[in-house]
Amino acid sequence: MHLYAGKKHQKYILNDCPNDSLLNAIGVRNGLEVSVVTKQPIGGPIIIRVKKREIAIDKSLACLITAKAVN
Amino acid sequence: MDCHQTKPLGNRPEGIKRILLMGNPNVGKSVIFNRLTGLDVVTANYTGTTVTYHEGLVRFQGNQALLIDVPGIYGLNAQSKAEEVAVEMLNSGADLIVCVLDATHLERNLHLAFDLQTYDIPTLYVLNLSDVAKRKGITIDVHLLSKYLNAPVFETVAVKNIGIDILKESLFKPHPVKPALKILDRHEKSQEITENVTQEHDVEIGFLERLSEWCIKPRTGIPILIIVLLAALGIIVGGGKGLRALILLPLVNNYYIPFMTNLIEGIIPESVFRNVLVGEFGVLIKVIEWPFALILPYVFLFYVVFSFLEDSGYLPRLGVLMDGIFRKIGLPGNNIIPFILGYGCAVPAILGTRASGSRRERIIVVSLISIAVPCTAQTGAFITLLGDRSIFALAFVYFISFLTILLAGLLLNRLLKGKSRPLILELPNLLMPDFKTLSKKIWIKMKHFIYEAQVPMFLGILLAAFLVETGMMNTIGTFLEPLVVGWLDLPKEASLSLILGVVRRELAVMPLLEMNLTTVQLITGSVVALFYLPCISVFVILVKEFKVKIALLIALSTFVLAFAMGGIVQILLNLVM
Ligand SMILES: Nc1nc2c(ncn2[C@@H]2O[C@H](COP(=O)(O)OP(=O)(O)O)[C@@H](O)[C@H]2O)c(=O)[nH]1
Repeated sequence: MHLYAGKKHQKYILNDCPNDSLLNAIGVRNGLEVSVVTKQPIGGPIIIRVKKREIAIDKSLACLITAKAVN
Repeated sequence: MDCHQTKPLGNRPEGIKRILLMGNPNVGKSVIFNRLTGLDVVTANYTGTTVTYHEGLVRFQGNQALLIDVPGIYGLNAQSKAEEVAVEMLNSGADLIVCVLDATHLERNLHLAFDLQTYDIPTLYVLNLSDVAKRKGITIDVHLLSKYLNAPVFETVAVKNIGIDILKESLFKPHPVKPALKILDRHEKSQEITENVTQEHDVEIGFLERLSEWCIKPRTGIPILIIVLLAALGIIVGGGKGLRALILLPLVNNYYIPFMTNLIEGIIPESVFRNVLVGEFGVLIKVIEWPFALILPYVFLFYVVFSFLEDSGYLPRLGVLMDGIFRKIGLPGNNIIPFILGYGCAVPAILGTRASGSRRERIIVVSLISIAVPCTAQTGAFITLLGDRSIFALAFVYFISFLTILLAGLLLNRLLKGKSRPLILELPNLLMPDFKTLSKKIWIKMKHFIYEAQVPMFLGILLAAFLVETGMMNTIGTFLEPLVVGWLDLPKEASLSLILGVVRRELAVMPLLEMNLTTVQLITGSVVALFYLPCISVFVILVKEFKVKIALLIALSTFVLAFAMGGIVQILLNLVM
């Protein structure tokens, strides 16, 4: 599944991130464990939590990231 | 961020140690800078660019060093103007680098640390925001981190002045240059270091963390936004009225005006010259009354509210919340920050768009701000003019402004080729801002406003007094009669607004105060003034940042819009009222 389809409060492992310089710079990469905080309506970004950081990722990009649910 | 430019410290003693204070944005660099330096801080513009930075002297036991607050950056790849400036500052030589790290975002911060190690300059590290880290359940082994980085690391809580003294002392000790770390993959290395030095425990989630989450969830975020907006309006509009009524107006009306009038009437006999000084548009009267008693309170309170929101970390959350809506006008949500800044002054707002954004985005934001966002001085003028008559009239003018932003935004998004970039944003910690840093910031902004506004204001008022007292205004009024009286249904004298509005935007509103206008006329005059023309300093920045063509295009559209909207509003309101 892609990250944007993720459910709130569920944890995911990212297993395929596009090679985007902004994503790289902010440290979003394969193998990262994230949880979904919230999604914004009308095409807004998804907000994920990585450890204690909160990161907003555009819908278009989040749709390109493949993720797997974990417990 | 600043309208105003000064030269770097000219009287710098020879041979003094040069220290660069560097770090990612939002790590608390300004607070550390303020704690280390005294009051003699200057804001400077890096040569040839509009990136500003601060310089100040650090004093310790009779020694002095020059501390330079380099703009906040994520790396040294010259990806933005700020990064280019940082690289140039490094290349022009430094005796020491103080690299500030955010304890809550160590992994990302280490990238800049690695970049800095490629320069042969001794480096100290500061691990700031350690109180926030503790609150979040993060502990960092400073000793181990120092081993990894092969340099001293100081743990600080800048806002509470914790760790600052030890840091200050060590700035004056000799530090050897260390060989750079051997790094194959910086992502892996920063991850490895962070994992080894950090321990995370579960802590009870604090109020600010919970508030942070509420701010970005639509269901709670939108009510919070409404509360913030109402509070901001209450403070600016209500507080401004209070300040004026209780302090400034009595001072000006009861003391300053009678004093000045008596003084001048005592020395100068009845003449045109005396009227120019203390008559209807008396320069000596208006030059104090308009900026100080009518506008200044609003400008001051705007910057109080804005600086608080900026330093608290709320604005990026607002950007995330508004992203969906902003995309409809072709902008990623974080552009809300230059927008809000534009309600203060368009100049820093336009400069602020440099750091982020593609050219297409910049043109959209900058056009919308220059056309339809009133600056605080204008807002103050509107409140003075309309607020006392009818709060609905005031709301109506702002409604027109919003409507224009929306329509013009939709149009520009259609007209300009290309797509806006995706939004990727790390949310900074939500914090209680530091009072001292905040006051200094507001003070600097007020100083700039007074310097920037006073001279054009004075010249504008001088021009007005001259035109009115010599009767030339009559001739101009007759010439502009078809437009002002025929189309806008304003009295002939209102053409003075059009003349003064060229000098400064709020000056287009002020002359209307002195005329006995109906509510519809007040609204019409305000709508015309809302658009009219970008003020001179905005126009200059537009030419510098874009091209003359774009600057002229923006000026022309707001000019045409001013009269079109003014006339239409007048006709419609006169039909219904
Ligand atoms: N709690 C806490 N807040 C801090 C600390 N250092 C800075 N801040 C706050 O963090 C925010 C950003 O700081 P600022 O100095 O403007 O960051 P800069 O962008 O690096 O210059 C401000 O609201 C500061 O008051 C700290 O050690 N602890």
